[in-house]
Amino acid sequence: MNSFFALSPLLIIVFAALLVLILEVFLKKDNKNYLAYISLAFLIMCFVVCIKFWNRGYSYFNGNLILDNLSLFLISILILATGFVFLLSMKYISLQNTNYGEFYALLLLALSGVIIMVSSKDLLVIFLGLEVLSISSYALAGLRRDDQKSSEAAIKYFLLGSFATAFLVFGLALLYGSSHSTDISTIIQYFQSEQSLTLMALFGLGMVIIAFGFKIAFVPFHMWTPDVYQGAPTPITAFFSVVPKVAGFAILLRIFLFYWDIALDSQAIFCLLWVISALTMVVGNLLALRQTNLKRILAYSSIAHAGYLLVAILARDNSSLVFYLTVYLFMNMGAFAAVIALSKKDKEYLELEDYAGIGFRYPWIGITFSIFLLSLAGFPPTGGFLAKFFVFSAAVRQGLVPLVIIAVLASLISVFYYMRIIVYMYMKEPSYKIEITVDNPALFLVLFLCLYGVLQLGLYPGNILLLIKQAVSSIPLL
Amino acid sequence: MNFPILTFITFIPLAGAVLLIFIHRDKENLLRYISLGIVLVAFVLSLFLYFSFNAETPEPQFVEKKPWLAYGIEYHLGIDGISLFLVLLTTFLMPIILLSSWRSIQKRVKEYLIFMLILETGIIGVFLSLNLFLFYVFWEAMLIPMYFLIGVWGGKRRIYATLKYVLFTMLGSLLMLVAIFFLHSMYYKAMGVYSLNLFDYYNLILNPGLQIWLFLAFAIAFAIKVPMFPFHTWLPDAHVEAPTAGSVILAAVLLKMGAYGFLRFALPLFPDAVKTFLPFLAILCLIGIIYGGLMALIQKDIKSLVAYSSVSHMGLIMLAIFALNVEGVEGAIYQMLNHGLSTGALFLIVGILYERAHTRMIKDFGGVSKQMPVFAAFFLICMLSSVGLPGLNGFIGEILCLFGIFQVNKIYAILGVTTVILAAWYLLWMYQRVMQGPITNEKILSFKDMNKREIGYILPIVFMMFWMGIQPNTFLRKMDSSVTHLLNKIKERGIIFTKAKKDQDVVLKIEHKTEKKNTEKEEQSR
Repeated sequence: MNSFFALSPLLIIVFAALLVLILEVFLKKDNKNYLAYISLAFLIMCFVVCIKFWNRGYSYFNGNLILDNLSLFLISILILATGFVFLLSMKYISLQNTNYGEFYALLLLALSGVIIMVSSKDLLVIFLGLEVLSISSYALAGLRRDDQKSSEAAIKYFLLGSFATAFLVFGLALLYGSSHSTDISTIIQYFQSEQSLTLMALFGLGMVIIAFGFKIAFVPFHMWTPDVYQGAPTPITAFFSVVPKVAGFAILLRIFLFYWDIALDSQAIFCLLWVISALTMVVGNLLALRQTNLKRILAYSSIAHAGYLLVAILARDNSSLVFYLTVYLFMNMGAFAAVIALSKKDKEYLELEDYAGIGFRYPWIGITFSIFLLSLAGFPPTGGFLAKFFVFSAAVRQGLVPLVIIAVLASLISVFYYMRIIVYMYMKEPSYKIEITVDNPALFLVLFLCLYGVLQLGLYPGNILLLIKQAVSSIPLL
Repeated sequence: MNFPILTFITFIPLAGAVLLIFIHRDKENLLRYISLGIVLVAFVLSLFLYFSFNAETPEPQFVEKKPWLAYGIEYHLGIDGISLFLVLLTTFLMPIILLSSWRSIQKRVKEYLIFMLILETGIIGVFLSLNLFLFYVFWEAMLIPMYFLIGVWGGKRRIYATLKYVLFTMLGSLLMLVAIFFLHSMYYKAMGVYSLNLFDYYNLILNPGLQIWLFLAFAIAFAIKVPMFPFHTWLPDAHVEAPTAGSVILAAVLLKMGAYGFLRFALPLFPDAVKTFLPFLAILCLIGIIYGGLMALIQKDIKSLVAYSSVSHMGLIMLAIFALNVEGVEGAIYQMLNHGLSTGALFLIVGILYERAHTRMIKDFGGVSKQMPVFAAFFLICMLSSVGLPGLNGFIGEILCLFGIFQVNKIYAILGVTTVILAAWYLLWMYQRVMQGPITNEKILSFKDMNKREIGYILPIVFMMFWMGIQPNTFLRKMDSSVTHLLNKIKERGIIFTKAKKDQDVVLKIEHKTEKKNTEKEEQSR
């Protein structure tokens, strides 16, 4: 249905961003928390709108911006992720001296960018959203101005990100050249009338994959990830580890859901994705083994998870992909929340050594962090196991047995480094004591919600699975 | 029978663990009594299971089946003659284990008890699940508490040992998971519906070429758990580093899960692959028997001696299972129970010694029996039970196992007997060095004999040793129909495949064929 309503989530978020930007001028530096409350209120409003619009299927701008169930579901995930990041940062930014007014506004702008990305099927509009996301991200990564690592992260992210954008535009041009359109469905119709993909189209598609592969952090386009993750303020790292990934996979989903019959049957694209997926899982996990910094470990682990998610694309199983993304949101956010919990004024504890004995000194942080790590490692009865189960079983059904064997061996490697964090928390005697103040209700709310999410999705995800089924089955209607 | 008794037995310990979270950590004795009460309730419930178990039917009993998730994932529990006794063994040993660690675990009592209770839920769940998904969930979930038990309360090299244990087990089980996925998709292609029900898979017949790969995946997972010869290296480390209670539960119950997996999954699902691999597996078992025994001979640490004796004994059990006849399999199951009791008891004995001496080296002891006569008597009985003295439980199991093996291959049986000879050698020798002779170490003079609590938890085990040695029929007769049924299934499916053409589809529906066979049999019997 062509309706102005299709714009409403986007407008709410953009309005909130601008409002926060204006109000910031009138607030003292200590009162910046009000901005977070206002933004959270708008996020909740947007969430409610998403729920209300379920099954409505609005679209606007000649169908260039669509609000089908898939985009609604993904937008809800993104809002949830951003909401978690807000809750995590409220205390953090004043402790770490990064409470600049732009912080919340930039986050909201980044969110509006990804909302554009997930709710469009025109590659040019997607590009627009990607740019909004990227530019806000570059600024967010460099927000700790007095920290060299942070500036390094921003510059690295900016330079490599611009490269990736160039790839995207070039790929788009090639696709446009062969199909005379930037709209995904038109491109598909064109290709369906052809017998096989032309070389130009293959190149274009490959370049688009590379561009999004950069955002998602596939190997070999992952080089920026650990440095940016380490340099950025930790809540922003949590944001980077979830939000761009969800957006990138949403676009791969939209492209390949339609291209599947042709593109995945074409050996070139299939092999490309197969190799990228295997490499991402193996390299991501292997490199994580050597890390001692928690943020870097989680960076490499997020790379590895991108590999598992790509298996779902290759398995042509969209519902398991979306389910994995949902679980990934909860477990990864939870892990970052636990990392953020271990910080005090102007000091963050990020080295493995710092975690010695934490499990018994701060039992709730220890238990929840362990559960998130076990979920990331794929132990039942957590959501991480069920997500892997669905993805891998779908892949075996598609005959991708070697890839699944690589995937399970890679997750065996991952068990080692996740377990190592637990070893430090519970089995090593601390050589020095770290003191943190445990009075951050917002953070504990995030920990609790993520814990609930991980366990609920692992034990009884019936309702979510139903929603996901509705979400992915609505796409072909458009 | 509407009361979901299996669910209760499985999840009562978990509920107890949740309850313990809300009790303050300083009330250590309260925590201990509550957890003891909970495991006793589980034990009483499982006794009820034993008495109301119908030995006539081979079908699983007390079945509970509820839909859970899509893709054939169901909550499906059931018990038959094979799993009944393993569940009983678990619930029987659990109170004993808690009692044994009453004093020896002093730090972080609350967490310790919570992990113990979660572990019990995991183990019982493994034995009761009839859905492959549920089985896998319990199988993996059980690793986590064990990981903590070794890693937090273990000895010096505990972190190495626990990581090795988890990674070894995970390697096997992840490959098994891929095989489960494969079966799942095969079933879907053949039948058009999703299922992860074990009994549905019994109706699948697979091409032998495929069976080999799937069997390998399952067999490696279980062989690591048993552990069979080349995969055993995690066992001595884990045993030596684990606290007493951890070693007991590891030896008594967790190792049985591997053997149980072979019986329940690997053998009936892939009968043709079993035939191919049988000689190879038997040789691995024999190597395990002899190698484990010889390694036990040269150990200086009593605990690692007992650990290697497990390798040797489990080798005999696996060899008896691979004999694939009623005597062998029943003997193997019976021997699993015996091994659980006797090795568990030996670990408890070592734990009692360690609590007094804070060392486990054989050379530090000598003449302990003068100081601790009651202890010496119990030690002797447990040791003789492990050696297989007639009149005690070990004898019955070993004899049955060897009968079974002898029917299939005489050389295997002759070589298999070495497990008994070697066991007598290393155990008696160890007993002699530790308990008899002059007192060499002054510390021993200060040893106190066993107290009431220690006698209290060893006594039920010793009682069971005598009972199982004198009245084996109480146990064996309950297994008969299940074991016969299982073996028939393995043979039947092998025959059907040879009738089918080799180049036929990978998967065949065989339900109608089995029905035909049954009617034929009935006609013949008339």
